[in-house]
Amino acid sequence: MRLPNAWVVAGVAACLGVAVGGGIAMLEAASRPWRAGDFSPSGARPSGPSPIVEVPETQFAFGTVGVDAKGSHEFLIRNMGDAPLELTRGATSCTCTVSDFEQAEGGSNHAKVVPPGGTTKLKVEWRGKGDGGPFRQQASVSTNDPRRPQIVFVVEGTVIPISRAVPKTITLSKLSAGTSEQATVRVFTFGREPPMVDSLTLDNEKTAQFYSLASAPLEPTEFAAETGATGGFEISVDIRPGLPIGPLRQTIKAVFRLPEEVTIEIPVEGSVSGDLALVGQAWDSSRESLMLGTVSSRTGSQTNLFLTAKGPHRAEVKPVVRNVVPDFLEVVVGEGRPVGNGNVIRIPLSITIPPGSGTANHICSPQAPAGRIVLDTGHPDSPTLTIPVCVTIIP
Amino acid sequence: MNRLGFSPPVVAACALLWCSMGRLGTAETPASAESTAVAAQSPSVASPATVTNTPDRGAGVDDSLVKTFRDRNGGLFEGWSKPQAVVVVTGELDGYIEPCGCTGKENQKGGLSRRRNFLRAMTAADWPLVTVDLGGQVKRFGRQSEIKFQSIADGLRTMGYAAVGFGPGDLRLPAEELVAAVAPVGDRPTPFVSANVGLLGLDANITPRFRIVEAGGMRFGIVSVLGDAEAKQVRNDAIEIVPAAQGIEAAAAELKKADCAHQILLSWASPEETKSLAARFPQFDIVATAGGADEPPAELPTLPGGARLVELGHKGMFAVAIAFFPDSQKPFRSQRVPLDARWGEAEDMISLLATYQSQLESLGLTGLGLAAVRHPTGRRFAGSASCADCHQHAFDVWKDTPHATALATLEEQKPRRDGDPECLSCHVVGWAPQRYEPFEGGFAGMKATPHLAHQGCENCHGPAAAHAAVERGDVRASVTERDRLRGELALSIDTPEGKQKATNNCLECHDLDNSPQFDFDTYWPQVEHPTPPSEAEKAK
Repeated sequence: MRLPNAWVVAGVAACLGVAVGGGIAMLEAASRPWRAGDFSPSGARPSGPSPIVEVPETQFAFGTVGVDAKGSHEFLIRNMGDAPLELTRGATSCTCTVSDFEQAEGGSNHAKVVPPGGTTKLKVEWRGKGDGGPFRQQASVSTNDPRRPQIVFVVEGTVIPISRAVPKTITLSKLSAGTSEQATVRVFTFGREPPMVDSLTLDNEKTAQFYSLASAPLEPTEFAAETGATGGFEISVDIRPGLPIGPLRQTIKAVFRLPEEVTIEIPVEGSVSGDLALVGQAWDSSRESLMLGTVSSRTGSQTNLFLTAKGPHRAEVKPVVRNVVPDFLEVVVGEGRPVGNGNVIRIPLSITIPPGSGTANHICSPQAPAGRIVLDTGHPDSPTLTIPVCVTIIP
Repeated sequence: MNRLGFSPPVVAACALLWCSMGRLGTAETPASAESTAVAAQSPSVASPATVTNTPDRGAGVDDSLVKTFRDRNGGLFEGWSKPQAVVVVTGELDGYIEPCGCTGKENQKGGLSRRRNFLRAMTAADWPLVTVDLGGQVKRFGRQSEIKFQSIADGLRTMGYAAVGFGPGDLRLPAEELVAAVAPVGDRPTPFVSANVGLLGLDANITPRFRIVEAGGMRFGIVSVLGDAEAKQVRNDAIEIVPAAQGIEAAAAELKKADCAHQILLSWASPEETKSLAARFPQFDIVATAGGADEPPAELPTLPGGARLVELGHKGMFAVAIAFFPDSQKPFRSQRVPLDARWGEAEDMISLLATYQSQLESLGLTGLGLAAVRHPTGRRFAGSASCADCHQHAFDVWKDTPHATALATLEEQKPRRDGDPECLSCHVVGWAPQRYEPFEGGFAGMKATPHLAHQGCENCHGPAAAHAAVERGDVRASVTERDRLRGELALSIDTPEGKQKATNNCLECHDLDNSPQFDFDTYWPQVEHPTPPSEAEKAK
């Protein structure tokens, strides 16, 4: 018998060892709480003289800063090694943060050499921008310390705006034309004094008649949880029935003093729709058609839809199939169930093309017009609902 | 011989042996229908000791570009060995299906195309992958957001996401659009998951309550919730939302049965609310939250219960990769991944964007439900060329600025963006930039209103049709009326109030989203156009 090559034997043995060892490690790791692991970088210990970078802190929490106000912090960097420490300014997360080394006479603020035992400072500046909220920026420094080739310094805190509306926008998705609606917006303010509301107006005159606006100051307990807030007011919006069906576009403009005058705009958006809607994967809302595609008469097909009903007459909606085209379509109406708070009723519709049906072409073209499902709904304002069906049934 | 000193046969034998062990260690998917277990993008397990090709760039991206962005935004996966499995968390896309802004796309982060290439690079490196998304694909309401949500959902399916949550912006969309967008395609289940949000009611079961996936021989349980404070802001009667804790409790019992190695909570809530949920449900060891700062931290903070908190930043600019290793000393590592130009562009996502843009164009402004609104002044627009009749110096300055070719920059994009209202609003005359809708008499397309193309004079000075008509003599007006019309358009930065007014005008487009470097004093000299004495004298 021919003996195996010694290299192969050694290699396979080595592999076996590595694999088994690795497998055991894997099993150990799988059974050990992974959260116990640490993130600390580990590098090779250099031989000979070497810089050792030490930073007492890499993270600075500045607390709060106002919009457009500036802040800065100096991070200390020490060289605890026995060779010069070379530092190079690296990336900053965006221009909100500027990092500079402590200026040395004739030196660059982008690079710095720190002698053994020496120190330098990295200055990080920031400016509060945006609408307020959590803020985090960072600046990185590259070093020639092989154990720590990069240090990331982080400044974080909260930007305090002049005012903040919650929510920023009132969105009313598919508002029923026949029902009233209420909404509230809380405006938190961060000025020296509590706000004095001068006016609340609406910019879209065409639909302004359907809205009523009112404001009331917030109690201290109501703005206590908002970091830095010194006052606030609540805007109540009442919307009366009768808005025209279609997109809903309105803007509430609030003018108030802190004592300086501030204007905020709160968009009201959404849509006003009829009380009945169809929902389902095969329902194409842009074409307002049930798209069943090409179906083999041999296998047939089955599709589920939901009819949703809202508005004051939703409980009266009890669909009954009046007729269908093609006539072999089978439509089963399920039991209505309330959704969430009960303002919408969900009624399942099961639409089946039974196996063995005949062929038909209702692809929704001038030559092959849509099929249809006609339902008597029970809704007094929309007693009949016609669902166009686009389908081709092939042998 | 390779650099480790082993001959190829040894390496091959090693790989085969390890590979077979990895396969032996792979658990079977449970047959529970509720758990909707799916296979993640998981190739076989290879040796954890093997240093693999690092997923630090998109395919074909050259070293110099990678170096540029490594210097700018940091290196990626440096010193990593091949992990047993990687969980990639994304979220808070906020409608930024692609980066947008005045500083050039190459200088910005984010977009589905780069995300796609990042995930591809992970797969190409043979890293077993579980990809999850916190949700929050869109922030706005309307037909454009509906189409965008559908496009993003298609993109996430293409990228093989295992679980996708819902953000409040998503849930403001009409239920019929959401149901159609999240529906399963073919035999693949929907990637959308929520333990406490039910489209058309939780009992309609349109999306599952949780998901279990496997990668690298490990089983991951994933639960997604919308926080209670955010739920109060969703006013959509066709959607049922129960308290987040109630939803988690129901899902947790099922997850426990599945004996997952790791449990992931995707919590669309403020960091405070998320931390409270994490404390109440300590079984989750990865907890992703919404609502943090614009940038996620470089390292994952550890919560008191031991879970790692994942922040994602905003606008989909970052992904966070959390990798597991069979190393008892260092069982996991994380990497914040800036989605910058080093990832290049992915053809299938560019194609998806092209389809999205073509849908917008074919619908047009009317089809998108954008009716023109009255300008606050009630006035109409004349077009920048009209201004040149008298303000030649200002016009000459303007035509040499990027403002004068603003619309062309949209036309030159691939795919072109000149049918996208969210882009148009800052690239033409007569739109409300922050509301993405036209004013009456504003730009309505190159055929109807070519004179209102680009970012012109009237976007700062105000609509000037009446003023121009009087100055041309088309309309007779008294000197008082003429001067009043002139005065309405005057804009001076010589006073603090005037400068503030001008700055606010600029900020309508040069906002933090699109022009984060904007500073009036730096930018103004580039477009400054004082009226020369000769023109001022002539006007008298």
